[in-house]
Amino acid sequence: MVTRAAHVTVMSLLLAGLIISGCAKRPATTAATSAPAPAPRAAAPATAAPAPAAPAPGPSAAPAPATAAPTTRPSPKEFTESAALKDVFFEFDKYDIRPEDTKTLDANAAWLKSNADNLVLIEGHCDERGTNEYNLALGERRAKSAMNYLVSQGVQANRITIISYGKERPVCNEQNESCWSKNRRAHFLVKAR
Amino acid sequence: MERVAAAAMLVGLAIATVLGLWAAPPAVRAQAVDVYINVTGGGSKKLNIAIPEFTVVAGTDTGGVAKLLASVAGNDLTLSGFFSVVAGRPALPANNPEALMQAWTEAAAAGAHAGVHGLLGIRGERLEGEMRLYDLTTPDQRLIASRKFEAAAPQPALPSFDWRRRLAHKIADEIVLQFTGEPGVADTKLAYLLGSPGAKEIVVADYDGAGTTGATRNGSINLSPVWGPDARSIAFTSFMNGYPDLFRLFPFEPRRGVQTLASFLGINSSPAWSPDGKSLALTLSKDGNPEIYVLTVATGVLQRLTRHASIDTEPTWSPTGEQIAFVSDRAGQPRIFVMDRGGANVRQLTSGGFHTQPRWSPKGDTIVYTQRGATHDLWAISPGGSSPRPLTSGPGDNQGATWAPDGRHIAFQSNRTGRWQVFFMLLDGSATTQVTQGTAEATSPSWSPRLP
Repeated sequence: MVTRAAHVTVMSLLLAGLIISGCAKRPATTAATSAPAPAPRAAAPATAAPAPAAPAPGPSAAPAPATAAPTTRPSPKEFTESAALKDVFFEFDKYDIRPEDTKTLDANAAWLKSNADNLVLIEGHCDERGTNEYNLALGERRAKSAMNYLVSQGVQANRITIISYGKERPVCNEQNESCWSKNRRAHFLVKAR
Repeated sequence: MERVAAAAMLVGLAIATVLGLWAAPPAVRAQAVDVYINVTGGGSKKLNIAIPEFTVVAGTDTGGVAKLLASVAGNDLTLSGFFSVVAGRPALPANNPEALMQAWTEAAAAGAHAGVHGLLGIRGERLEGEMRLYDLTTPDQRLIASRKFEAAAPQPALPSFDWRRRLAHKIADEIVLQFTGEPGVADTKLAYLLGSPGAKEIVVADYDGAGTTGATRNGSINLSPVWGPDARSIAFTSFMNGYPDLFRLFPFEPRRGVQTLASFLGINSSPAWSPDGKSLALTLSKDGNPEIYVLTVATGVLQRLTRHASIDTEPTWSPTGEQIAFVSDRAGQPRIFVMDRGGANVRQLTSGGFHTQPRWSPKGDTIVYTQRGATHDLWAISPGGSSPRPLTSGPGDNQGATWAPDGRHIAFQSNRTGRWQVFFMLLDGSATTQVTQGTAEATSPSWSPRLP
């Protein structure tokens, strides 16, 4: 049965093959050569090439046009730990602030308000279960929830940057709920303005 | 004409099998030890095929290429799910019809229905391979098809490209084409992540796991590698510049650097190429919440598709490019939804579970996704929402599906051995094969289209 169906598709496959191979040649180069990155930052991604190669000549070395939001992103590496700022934690697959964590966030907000020369980076994290892409979104929502709470407590939004690491930076590597609950967190880092 | 004849032969075999009329060649019992019966299942009767060491017709084979080609192509035929390979046979003599006939008679006696006579010409860094396919079920051992292939060492050298193995893959794909009407998927690559959380690099290997080569070496976190439809580039998320941005790399163009695709504030993740390769569906949170957008790569034009207060991510295109399936937690837990290419007509596809990682079949008729239960397992559902069914049920977690271009094979990651490794299987869940074997964790496979 399978083979009969396959038999019928022979010609259509051949035709499809011709079409595909016919098309492939043109966009293969044009798409690559004309592709400007829609990046908001005119960074130098081409030189950050991971390939074991010289920096890209030609098309991909072209600087990205600064077309989008003017807001800049300070490098996460510039932020450091602060003993004054404590983590908050989340239930599985949730991103709302738990009632018992509001005290922690109130204290974080108070410290930030009295240390107004500090910028804050909020990292959103997930446990290891589930899938990379969904957890990246989930971590983003967790960081955003923490940010919204701090803003509601009077911390200026323009002092806050968020980043999601999804499940890529666990603090605990065992496979049990005790460990997972430590990983489902929003973590706070600071740097001087 | 030849291909039709070969297909007819397989049809004939299938019918004979169904009717129980398929009589093994008389001497099969006497030499049954010579026959590898593929016991991994698959439900359908396989064609027994003999593929002896290739006959060297020009040059000197100092590198064992004649043996390599038979071995690699034979393994490809096994992995195709259509064939059982009759155990290794010595090279056939060149230009000796009587000896050839004798060899095929012996192969038929050992159970072979078809025979592959490979001829190999070696000219320095060039190989000429010829595949001659014989029907051993006919008294005259009819020649079904023959085709020549050439292969040359790439200039400059490409570490990720074993061009000798590639010649074998092409021959195997041609044999599958002759019998089924569609080429095999041996001449493809897998990209996947190697490493543990905090340090994952993208590597590229042959679909069977051979020739693993690094594609990123940035010491950062790299995620979600996805082959473009032209099989020349890989889109991926990376923290190499600090934040999760989207890039693409060109694994077969070593001098070409990485291109930035999206680096907006927030997450830039979950890339999915449109079937025509011109657009990229992706997840951005620049407008405050993870939403799905479509980026036209050549112009940088961005179109927002979803507007919902919940998480929307993991887009996957239908092969027509007219619809996009995605994950949303708008129903309380993540589930699979489908919308039109422009974002209209959103409908919920799955219910009653925790569902992520939708991947639309290149044939269009199936969407595979990951369901979270006691373990993560792969499920399949029709794009209309009917008949969800499990493809795996343990052991361990099985997730991160990626389709081979034939719509029959699915690669995925499983921790069933205690460590994440890449496997593939047939769509019916049978014939599971472990692709990666290393000590580093191998995750997030992406199966390339057939190579150009």
